Amino acid sequence: MKVQESDFIRRETPLLKELLEKLLAAYPYASILAVDSKARRYSVSKRNMAAGEDDLLTSRGFVAKVWDGKHYAEYSFNKVVPEELEEICARIGELVAASDRLLPEGLEEKEYLLPEEERRVEKKTSEEKRTGEKTVFEGSTEYEVDPEEMGDDAILKFLEGLKDKGLAMNDALLNLSAFCEYQKYTKLFLSGRKELLQNVMWFNGGISLAASRGEEIKSYFKSYSCLGGAELLPRMEEDLEESVAATVELLESRPIPPGEYTCICAPDVTGMIVHEAFGHGVEMDMFVKKRAQAQEFLGKYVASPLVTMHDGAGAVRETATYFFDDEGTLAHDTVIIDKGVLKTGISDLQSALSLGTEPTGNGRRESYRRKAYTRMTNTYFEAGDSTREEMIASVDYGFLLENAESGMEDPKNWGIQCMVNIAREIKDGKLTGKVFSPIVLTGYVPDLLKSISMMGKDVELGGGGFCGKGYKEWVKVSDGGPYIKARIRLG
Amino acid sequence: MRRKEQVNAVIAKILSALERLGIDHYLIEETEKESLECFFVRKKLDLKRKSVTDELEVTVYRDFEKDGKKMRGSSAAQIYPGMEEEEVLAALQGACQAASLVCNPYYELPSGKKEAPVPSRSPLAEIGLEESMKRMTEALFAEDTEEEVFLNSAEIFLRHSHRHLVNSAGVDVAYEVYDVWGEYVVQCVAPQDVETYHQFNYRDLNTDGLRREVKEALALTRDRAAARKAPKTGEYTLLLSGQQMRTLFDFYLSRSNTSMVYQKYSNYEAGMKVQGEDIRGDALTLELKAVDPYSAEGIPMKDRLLIDEGTLQLLQGGGARFAYYLGVEPTGGYRKIKVREGKLPFEEMKKEPYLHVVSFSDFQMDDFTGHFGGEIRLAYLYDGQTVTPVTGGSLNGNIMELQADMVFSSEKYEDANYEGPYAVRFKGVKVAGEA
Repeated sequence: MKVQESDFIRRETPLLKELLEKLLAAYPYASILAVDSKARRYSVSKRNMAAGEDDLLTSRGFVAKVWDGKHYAEYSFNKVVPEELEEICARIGELVAASDRLLPEGLEEKEYLLPEEERRVEKKTSEEKRTGEKTVFEGSTEYEVDPEEMGDDAILKFLEGLKDKGLAMNDALLNLSAFCEYQKYTKLFLSGRKELLQNVMWFNGGISLAASRGEEIKSYFKSYSCLGGAELLPRMEEDLEESVAATVELLESRPIPPGEYTCICAPDVTGMIVHEAFGHGVEMDMFVKKRAQAQEFLGKYVASPLVTMHDGAGAVRETATYFFDDEGTLAHDTVIIDKGVLKTGISDLQSALSLGTEPTGNGRRESYRRKAYTRMTNTYFEAGDSTREEMIASVDYGFLLENAESGMEDPKNWGIQCMVNIAREIKDGKLTGKVFSPIVLTGYVPDLLKSISMMGKDVELGGGGFCGKGYKEWVKVSDGGPYIKARIRLG
Repeated sequence: MRRKEQVNAVIAKILSALERLGIDHYLIEETEKESLECFFVRKKLDLKRKSVTDELEVTVYRDFEKDGKKMRGSSAAQIYPGMEEEEVLAALQGACQAASLVCNPYYELPSGKKEAPVPSRSPLAEIGLEESMKRMTEALFAEDTEEEVFLNSAEIFLRHSHRHLVNSAGVDVAYEVYDVWGEYVVQCVAPQDVETYHQFNYRDLNTDGLRREVKEALALTRDRAAARKAPKTGEYTLLLSGQQMRTLFDFYLSRSNTSMVYQKYSNYEAGMKVQGEDIRGDALTLELKAVDPYSAEGIPMKDRLLIDEGTLQLLQGGGARFAYYLGVEPTGGYRKIKVREGKLPFEEMKKEPYLHVVSFSDFQMDDFTGHFGGEIRLAYLYDGQTVTPVTGGSLNGNIMELQADMVFSSEKYEDANYEGPYAVRFKGVKVAGEA
């Protein structure tokens, strides 16, 4: 079944078109993005339960962007009524004219051109702009089980059952928290040349387990995701036993002796390396600022010839799949690394204007309240031809890295900082049963990527997390790839 | 910002809907925000933004019995400006149904009465957002005068907020806040091209503070450009300072949080000696500082002593629910802390060999395990003879193993969320670096 358009967006569309017409009468370019997003989150643990709206993801509002012939300005708001259209236009006018009042001596405003596809209407009258040739698009993602129809009661009961089942598996568990959430959103993008509408839903689940060793709490987190609805829930039961066992194993873990080791990375760890270590470095707003070392490596080998890397909202069906981005650029499937060679970065519209390149559908906002930046979507390495067993058997001494936790980008210096929960010791091609935790991965990104000597046969993507730009601007992403074998510094 | 009569009309609409639905227990949180945002690439304004929003969240509470026990469930719904009355009813009805399924033991909401709104006393309130933006921008770029080391990019956010909280137990409070925060990246192009990332956050027009921070950041980045090698793998006497101090003390805030204690993630209780019986370094004295006049639930905020000479005085944060379960006074949540400084001057700390890490790519403290660390962006390594800037590698320490021996500097450091010793010393911390 297809996700339906929000009643609110349908109701407000004529008024938003009226506002756009007023803005197009005043400026050579104007666009409006309208968002109606509803997200619900459920969680059940031993001593706590919650169900309700997720306030980070639930929002309803608008952002208008205008170009006065030289500069861009944006105005976010969450109320639109006929009698206040003029007031909104006046506030935008004040902002457009505010630069002299905002900037001290010695600073100036950067000049931009119009996006290529909007230039054809630049010199027309507002009526011509409104009625001229337009790209019109309407798309919806699909789902099997509507979480709203399933209802709060059934979802909470499922999670409660999962919690009870997991806790019964081992007395050493201190707690088990089972949660799920979904976001269903409609976005409408209007400009002189575009009228785009999309309706999207994704669903996430997760199990967080904790066991204690004295004052120290060892924890394990497993997430699940899909583009769709509550049909994801049964998957959360499939490897519950494995997750409980991993948590209990952590009680015997010790910090790893620091050093450089041969490592096999599970797909979630591969995903974290793809996303944090490399993906952020090819976000082209970093090229504009000359903050990315990747810019100097275009056309050069940055990885082993085994590596081909993609990003794109149109690349796969996962939690960051959409039809157009928050600046009205249609979704892409961008090949970033092709057989080890860096081909291109990913880009939002304004960065593409600055660089004279094509936008790739990666202009994303945390919400209507925030600026659009270049952001990743679904980012992954393509598969190779090795099995996990072959890869482990090929290691004399090293570690199998599992359960990715977090990472931080460093596009300028291509330094790696990734945290992993579990390193399983491998000796003479076999797992010894020894577990080390917590693990910090460091090093230089191209060194790691060039050291990749084996790639697994199966690609797995996970979309359980959010990605920040630095320490803010959270958006939904997915990442992954196959098992990989590489040399990595662990500490 | 919106006019007072409009605010009251929206809340009146919600109160009427709550009454129609027979909802006796509720919390209404209204937040009006107006923000002005400037984004710079080098010294050029790349984009200017304004945001004007009015957001309302209503939490409804339902009481019921399960297995003979009194329960109270809750669930929240967003109410948007311009919503029709029937839409408001439907949103609240949905929250009410969800609340009746949430099986948490009964607890009481914070009680209160109608209080006079608390205006902001920030100088930002006097001069407005545009002029404040101009002055903060001027301060941000004032020290950016050199060719080799400069501000690569920056973002400045100025926000004026009104917050109004009304609950069914009589709380009716409102206050005003001005904020200025942002981030900037400093680049140094010689002898190698490097960058460092920095954040700032103030409640007032702290132009002097911002200018000073940028000056220090420029100097730090110049040193980062001179650093070539990672420290060797091994154990070091570690010095941490500045912004890492607040993250380090997150451990004590998290462990003393009522939600952590109730869920048995923490064994903290009042009277406990958090650093153990045998404190060989400095005993920790940590005070919670009230920044806003009320908590998110409308609890009046005040300064409180959390840890006195290593002994925990109270449990805090976590909301009224967990405080009720544990039978302790609800305190509201705290962002800012004040730690008593030590007696050892920082220069004395640096007389023995040390590794002083001044910049991480992302310094983290794991409240569950006590492990702290991250990748080293810039550190100063003293081997007993010379001080060398180093970069790369990572450190991994555990506060639970090291806290009895930590020593604080006598010098002070202060930012928006921290006031206390400038530096701390740990001995025997593992570093993964060059072989």
